[in-house]
Order: sequence, then structure tokens, then C-alpha cells
Amino acid sequence: MISPSLVLQNTIDGVFLGLFYSLVAMGLALIFGVMDIINFAHGDLLMLAAYFVWLTSADLSVDPTVTALLLVPLFFLIGLSIHYSMIQPVLGKEPLIQIAVTVGLGLILQNIALAIFKAEPKAVAYSLFSFSYSIGPITLYASKLFIAVVSIVTLYVLNLFLNRTFLGLAMKSTADNREVAQLMGINAKRLYALTFGLGTALIALSASLWMTFGQVQPYLGTSFSLISWVIVAMGGLGGVTGVLYSGIIVGLAESLGSLFLTPSARMAVVYIVFFLVLWFRPRGLFGRR
Amino acid sequence: MRASITRGPILEILILIVILAIIPLALMGNAYYELLAATVVLFSSMVVAWNIIGGYAGQLDLGAYAYMGVGGIVTAELWMKAGIPPLLGIFVGGAVSALIAILIGIPTFRFGIKEVWYALLTAALVVIFNNISRLLMGPFDYYLPPTTGFVYLKFNSYVIVYAIAASFLIIAFLVNFFVERSKMGYYFKAIREDELAAEMVGIDTRRYKLYALLLYSFLLGVMGYIYIVIAASYSYRIFDSSASLSIAIMGIIGGLGSVEGGIISSMVLRSLGEYFRSTFGSSLPGLDLLLYGAVLILIGIFQPEGISSLINKLLKRKG
Repeated sequence: MISPSLVLQNTIDGVFLGLFYSLVAMGLALIFGVMDIINFAHGDLLMLAAYFVWLTSADLSVDPTVTALLLVPLFFLIGLSIHYSMIQPVLGKEPLIQIAVTVGLGLILQNIALAIFKAEPKAVAYSLFSFSYSIGPITLYASKLFIAVVSIVTLYVLNLFLNRTFLGLAMKSTADNREVAQLMGINAKRLYALTFGLGTALIALSASLWMTFGQVQPYLGTSFSLISWVIVAMGGLGGVTGVLYSGIIVGLAESLGSLFLTPSARMAVVYIVFFLVLWFRPRGLFGRR
Repeated sequence: MRASITRGPILEILILIVILAIIPLALMGNAYYELLAATVVLFSSMVVAWNIIGGYAGQLDLGAYAYMGVGGIVTAELWMKAGIPPLLGIFVGGAVSALIAILIGIPTFRFGIKEVWYALLTAALVVIFNNISRLLMGPFDYYLPPTTGFVYLKFNSYVIVYAIAASFLIIAFLVNFFVERSKMGYYFKAIREDELAAEMVGIDTRRYKLYALLLYSFLLGVMGYIYIVIAASYSYRIFDSSASLSIAIMGIIGGLGSVEGGIISSMVLRSLGEYFRSTFGSSLPGLDLLLYGAVLILIGIFQPEGISSLINKLLKRKG
């Protein structure tokens, strides 16, 4: 019998996880929305960043959360170099070609990671947030609470950026209507590079949050890529709030699915929700072109 | 966009049969190589089946192992639980697989899900089947009975397993051949090039996409049992996302709509991959996939039409 407190516990965990998923998917939503690029290597970049977190926090013995200071700018640059070498040549090409190139990038990242780090999962031994509170039957893990808070703050800042700064408005208007935005004098080439860099930098932040409680192995990216795409499909181009709500739905589906079925079937629940959304709300729950 | 390497289709089929017949002679009775050859040829036939939905109809299906796994498991279970011999069972497996594909395809095409969303949906399908079959079958490996014989499509010699895989490749090739030259094939290509325009000229795009899905899933469902025979056992792990992805990868590298390109890319890359795996497998696992990744990026950026058009260009330059 599943007790109510267990349901409450899983609901809380699901919301926290969902907020984190929204942050992971936000970079992808930006890249897809602004550039119309189908990036299948999104999760693999998170995997790469997570290994960087593991390396730096183990070697310099700093907290995984601190590594974000180093990794966010580094991944902005990595994003730029990926953009100029692989993404720019396939801008505006058929979806299939974009998928081919980014799947290729993902395969290369996965298998370089496999060659260097082997298949065993790696985790950071200790982080500042490795403790928990107990409130009655409910346990709140500080690390999960922390990543939920950081995710929501980052999404809020990003929302301000998209609505209050020139660059942010340029991104938003390009996502809205590419041709008109370019007629209004927006330099699409530079904007695309910045968007890809920003999307990749967000991934580095997600990775340092993930490593406060998660593990990294070479195939970590595959599930994150799919989950991010599911969130983008549901949230569509409904902006930051669409991604936020969709992330929470996915987090809840995963967490409650693992409670009511079994943990090994939790992704089936997420993807069945995804099927239903695509079938019955093809434009996403929160509006999509 | 479509390019054929040689002109005469009958000549092509004869060349394919001759090559497939020479391969086992070249392996000189080495059972391990025969098994590998059967694996590569079966993989190739999956790529050729994929060409119907991915190459002709232009739907980026990433769910190959979902349909293949369903067909294979149904065939094996029918034999073990109900005593229906696999020679008959493979067709039931194919039919069940096609039925499931159609049940999913109807709402999917009805709601106009295409491009990246279709790709994601089919990729998610493999994970759903993986999780559900794990719930139903548990984490165990199921072994086929040791019985051999033609009606069980199980043999002591790997050459015969190879021959069955090779005949699947020829059948898949022939299905492609007939589809391409039929009205349906032209409709598929119209849908691939511009779905809206195809609809404008009166093609029932939904119906024809379903036909493509039907042919593809039935062929894969029939092949599933041979996949299990080669692997000797089956479990929920037959629903493999990255393997499904690699089927589409070979189709893209070969060139959309080019059966010859798909056969060449899958045979060359998979054989190279198997070689890497056996030579560097312990020190550098994943070298085969690294190779696929690099080829994909190069093809995507420099040769989006795939290797078939590259080979054509080279042939033309010489001629």
C-alpha cells in the first residue's frame, strides 16, 4: 500500500527534479526557438560538462557548485566553437541533416568519454549540500532543494534577460519571426552564435548542479537529450514559463511513475505522457508554431 | 536527389546475390566470421527495410528495434508457449509488429506529427517498449530451445543462418525495388520532397505514410526472430535505442532513397565497426561508434546526399 506521505514525498521530489529539467531544457528551447536548429547532442554536452565538474572538483577539491564559475564561461566558448565548426554549415538545411550532424557530435562525445573515463559512473564524494532535513515523514534533501532554487532563479534571470535587454529581445523576436527580425536590422549570424553559446553555457550550469547529487557516465546524455526534447515539445516556444511548467510535468511523471509502477518503468510513463501531448496538443501545451 | 549507382535493376540484384554467395566462401568455414557475416547482413537488411519509410517516404523513424523486437519476441514466445513453429511464427510476428505500428501511426499521422517530432516519438517508442517489456518479462534472458530444424529456422551451422539473413536482404531489396517502381513509390517521394504540395495534388499523405510504415514494420517484425537466433537469447534489452538510431544513421550515410548506398554504408561501416570492436574492444571500446559519429558529421556537412551520390560523381568523372 502506498502511503499518502510517500505520495507527498515523491510529489516534492518530482517538482524539484522538474525544475532542474526545465533548466536543462531551457538551453535547447533557446537554440531551437531562435536558430531553428535541431540539436540532438544537447544531453551529451551536459555529460561532457559533468565530467569537467567531476575532474575539477576532485582535483582542486572544490565544491561542484563552485565549478560553475569556471565552466559556464568555458562552455560558452565551447558552444561558440561547436557553432562555427558544425552548426553554421547546416543552418537552414533539412532537419535530417541537422540531426545527422548533431547525432554525430553526440556519438563522438560519448565514445571519447567512454575511452577516457570508462563506463563506471563517477560521482563527487561530497558537496556542501550533502545533508537533509526531516519534516515529519518527509525528507528534504538540501542538494535537491538547492538545485531547484538555483534553477528557478536562473530561469527568472533568463526571463528578465529575454524581456528587458536588447540582445534578449533580439532573440525573442527572431524566434517569433525570423524574416521580420532580420529586416529590423538584427545581425542573425552573430545572434545565432551567441544563442548557441548561451544555450551551451546553461548546460554547464545544469551539469554542476547535477553533480551535487548525481553520477556521470558516458551515456548520461542520451536520456537528458530525450527529456529536454520532450519538454521543448510540450512547452513549445511558449517562452520560459512554458518550459518551466513542462519541466515540472515531466519531473512529476517520472517521480510518480517510479512510485506507482517501478523505478525501471518511470521513463515509459514520461514518454507515454509525451505521446499523448503530441497526439492531442500537437502545438504543445503552451503554444508552439 | 535520388541516385542509382548502376542502371539495370536486374543486374543489381544479380550482383547482390553473387556478392552474398561469395562472402561465405571467403570466410573459409570459420564459424565466428560466419556469425559476424550473418549479423552484418541482417543489419543491412534492416537498413534496406528502413529505406522504405526513411528514404522514400522521408519520415525519420528512429524506432527500428521496437518493431524488430516485437516481431522477434512474438515469434519466439509462440514457439515456446504454443508450439507454433517459427517458420510460420515469423509472419505472425511481422503482422503483430505491423499492427502495433499502425495503431501508433494512425494518431501520429492524423495529427500531422513529422520531422523532428516524428523522430522523437519513435525514439521514445523504443524506450517505452524497453520499460514495458521489462515489467512483463523481468530482467531475465530467455534462451531458445536447443531444437534445430528448418521449421524452427534454427541450425547447427552458421552458414545457413547467414543464408537466411542474406535471403532477408534480397527480399527487402526486392520490396524496395517494387515499391520504387510503383505508384506508391512516386507518392512516397512526393511526400518526402514536399508534403504540403503532395497533398495539394491530391495524394492522401496520411494513408501513404501508413503504407510505408506498414511495409517497414512488417519486414522488421519478420527479421526479429533471426536476430534472436543469432543472439541465441532475448530479453527486454532487444529494445535498444542506440541500435535503432544506427539503422537510421546508415540510411542517412548511404543516401536517402538509395538502397545501394544503404547496403554499402551498412556493410562497410558495420564490418569496420565489428573489426574495431574485436581488435580494440578492450582498450578502446566505442571506437566503432566514434567512427560512425565522425562519418555522420562529415557526410552532413560536405555530402548531404550521402555516399551514393558521391560514388556516382566519381563514376561520372571517370566515365
